[in-house]
Amino acid sequence: MWKRLLLIRGAELAALALLAAIPLMVDNSYVLGLLTLLAIYGILLIGLDVTVGYLGQVNLAQAAFLGLGAYAAGLSVAHFDFGMLAALATALVVGLIFGTLLAFPALRLEGPQFALATLSFSALSATTLNEWEGLTLGAQGLQVSRPSFLGMTLDAPEFFWLCLLLLALVWMAMRNLLSSQWGRAFEALRDSPIATDAMGVGTYRHKVAGFALASGLGGLAGGLYAFNFQYLQPQSFGWDLMVILLLGVVLGGRKSLWGALVGASLIALLPNLLSNRGLFQIFSAIGLLIALAAGGQGLLKKTTRPFQALAPVVAMGILMVGSLIVENTEDWRKAIFALMLFSVVVGLPEGLMGFAARFLAKLFHIEPPRLPAPASLDTVLPKRIANGGALLELRGLERYFGGVKAVDGVSMTVQAGEIHGLIGPNGSGKSTAVNVISGLYVPTGGDMLLRGKSLPVGSLFKVARTGVARTFQNLQLFGELSAMDNVMVALKDVYRSPLPLVLLGLARGEEKRARAAALALLELVGLGDQARSLAKDLTYGDQRFLEIARALARKPELLILDEPAAGLAHPDVNKLMEIIKRIHERGVSIILIEHHMDVISELCGIVTVLDGGKIIAAGTAEQVKRDPKVIEAYLGVVDDPAGAAAPAQAG
Amino acid sequence: MYTLLIVQLAVSGALMGMVYALIAYGFQLTFATSKSINFGQGELVMLSAFFSLSLIDSGLPYWLVVPGGMLFGAVLGLFVERAAVRLSLEQKGEGWILLTIILGLLGFSAAENIWGRDDRPFPTPISSDPLHFFGIDVTPLELSVAIGVLAVMGLVELFKRKTLLGKAFEAVSADRDAAQLMGISATRTIQLSYGLSGLVAALAGILVAPITTVGPTMASVLILKAFSVAVVAGLDSGFGIVLVGLFLGALESLTSFYLGSGWREAPGLILLILALAVRPNGVFGKASIRKV
Repeated sequence: MWKRLLLIRGAELAALALLAAIPLMVDNSYVLGLLTLLAIYGILLIGLDVTVGYLGQVNLAQAAFLGLGAYAAGLSVAHFDFGMLAALATALVVGLIFGTLLAFPALRLEGPQFALATLSFSALSATTLNEWEGLTLGAQGLQVSRPSFLGMTLDAPEFFWLCLLLLALVWMAMRNLLSSQWGRAFEALRDSPIATDAMGVGTYRHKVAGFALASGLGGLAGGLYAFNFQYLQPQSFGWDLMVILLLGVVLGGRKSLWGALVGASLIALLPNLLSNRGLFQIFSAIGLLIALAAGGQGLLKKTTRPFQALAPVVAMGILMVGSLIVENTEDWRKAIFALMLFSVVVGLPEGLMGFAARFLAKLFHIEPPRLPAPASLDTVLPKRIANGGALLELRGLERYFGGVKAVDGVSMTVQAGEIHGLIGPNGSGKSTAVNVISGLYVPTGGDMLLRGKSLPVGSLFKVARTGVARTFQNLQLFGELSAMDNVMVALKDVYRSPLPLVLLGLARGEEKRARAAALALLELVGLGDQARSLAKDLTYGDQRFLEIARALARKPELLILDEPAAGLAHPDVNKLMEIIKRIHERGVSIILIEHHMDVISELCGIVTVLDGGKIIAAGTAEQVKRDPKVIEAYLGVVDDPAGAAAPAQAG
Repeated sequence: MYTLLIVQLAVSGALMGMVYALIAYGFQLTFATSKSINFGQGELVMLSAFFSLSLIDSGLPYWLVVPGGMLFGAVLGLFVERAAVRLSLEQKGEGWILLTIILGLLGFSAAENIWGRDDRPFPTPISSDPLHFFGIDVTPLELSVAIGVLAVMGLVELFKRKTLLGKAFEAVSADRDAAQLMGISATRTIQLSYGLSGLVAALAGILVAPITTVGPTMASVLILKAFSVAVVAGLDSGFGIVLVGLFLGALESLTSFYLGSGWREAPGLILLILALAVRPNGVFGKASIRKV
């Protein structure tokens, strides 16, 4: 525990001290320029990593935010005579504002559409910087003077220390933020936006916040950039720089502060590398060796596909051959970036730091932090007194898809404290009904009341906040998060610290409580010893149980289980029934959609049967089993209803 | 007279808009089969134009240059699919966004070094002496663009509807998994779509080159507008892109008249961001139902 903290914090401090000391040892303005650029790129890439790594979206606007921040800082000094701090704050705020403005339209977008939106924004900002000559002097360029810092004039080394100090502050704040609920929410919404909303976390809020933050850091870096170079041109912030920044993040390693720093050093040094032919030859030879070693290892262990192993070797081979033939490597700089990026994206998707972190953890025997003792279940899932009465009422609920009446006038009541079975053949409308209740679909007609009050319609997020939680028939786990983090994301009433406290690292107490609470829920579903496993690595059965634990983190009054036994092996089905009974004992009301008749018979006091979107029967499990209409729905028309077997395991 | 000038500008712009529509059509082809597009498509347009220029320089007649250039584009399209798209589709990831950007960059750098950084004229046998229609000037060159665009789009659509291979294309577009269960290779079909997409991109390059000249950066603004057209119309909107292409071409021609040519890209970009915000599936696109 202490060893881990000591090594990790020690490495951070050592790196900081080393960087800070270089100007004292080496009196070289060129080296100092490189170091300053490294610190600026560091801030920029930490920001870019929030969108590219944590939110998992290709963000092509970070160079534009650097430009906007740079111009904002430069102009604020020229026109309003701002000091250094005020100008940097302006740059940060400009980044935040434009980031938020862009985030709102980009909100609903994923993947290619998001990339296109950011690409258009960059092009638009480049056009504006170029054409608004009255303000920016356009392509002619803008001279910027370095303002004083609290009355002091900064020369090169002092300005570097300021950049380094800001990098250290950003580093600490982001480390605190990304290891908090915010960081988990970013990753959750990358893996499954639907589940993020359904767990009441709020996709929009976090996506906007994450993107605005990334842009704000871009703006701040832009301010420093302006005062470092003291001359701005719109074309400096174009497509070329954007590609280099992506290279930095991807090569350094996504989802890693160290990765951003390594990436920043590499891209700060790149121009030197390219202008020196001998150095470049050595570099490409090393690249080729790494590609050969990694590819060969992957092929031997059969962990990578042939393409994944061979393509980087080919790319690096071309780079190697090119470095021997080509006279002037500067002419080919874009191709060189492209070949390097290609090799890393295909062959080393976790980047240099992702690779190194695993290696270092093994080398120093660094253990993951110890888990706290699980909290008492009474605080995590307080026992509710089931006082009867109607909990959920559906009145004439309808949902049509074009001409298909998936749910066609369903009226039913779920009493508090019961396990209410919902069965019916495939396509009978069970899942659609649940999707309407939980807010994924807007109902075509009808009313839904929870404890007599109307349920919000068409918003997973709002319904989740009323005390209704659900699981998904097709699993919607956050695959890249650990089992514990999956539960922690969804926890209700735990995270109260406002953002500033989180950034300062003063929210660790609630983080500890959250961990203990999550462990208690994992133990409830029998996953206590799997807390650290990534959700995607769990067995199928355990993934189903994890979905239940995550839904329970909402402290639900009503839990909707959508075919929790689908695809489970027999022992797991028994385990599932145990879990459901335990949850029911805590006073949680449950709607259980299932095809396993034995599960329904054992657990449900009352069963509603749907067919063709309509209720065809309701009653106890025994009553429905004998209902001729139910038998007909499952088995077709039978001549002698009395002789027909019960539809065990139908579906 | 003033009205006539406006109409003249709108018509010339709209005819250029047909080129955006053609490139956007290339996006639609690959998006239909694989839900992916080539972010380096602009470089593909440019490389095909350069290649065709080299064919002309080598003395090949124009009517052979056009199919030659289109074939080159198709080969590039296939290369993009193999090198940048297939792996990430197999992993169900979005790595193809970055990888296609990277290949575009590689192509850009190659063009800079092979053909030089300067813009070069693209000779064409088609005349640029204006014809007069109701007081509006239209050059046969501009008309050839419009005719070429409509012809190739018509032919591809005919291919999709009338041939067995085309039906396979439609099947994979409708439901990749179901098509695979019916014995249609999705990989082959996606490959085909990238080949076709490269083909139409190359034709766009050849058609537009006599108007814009050929240079490494010839497609960097073209491609932004093609993105706008594809997104505003909807990536599965069929011929909606032609309407949006005409509209956007006219709009930017008028913008550059009123605000100056530096701003001509702005309306397309703003439209794109707005369209994404208001109708992510495009004006002519279909909204999809989220399933869980």
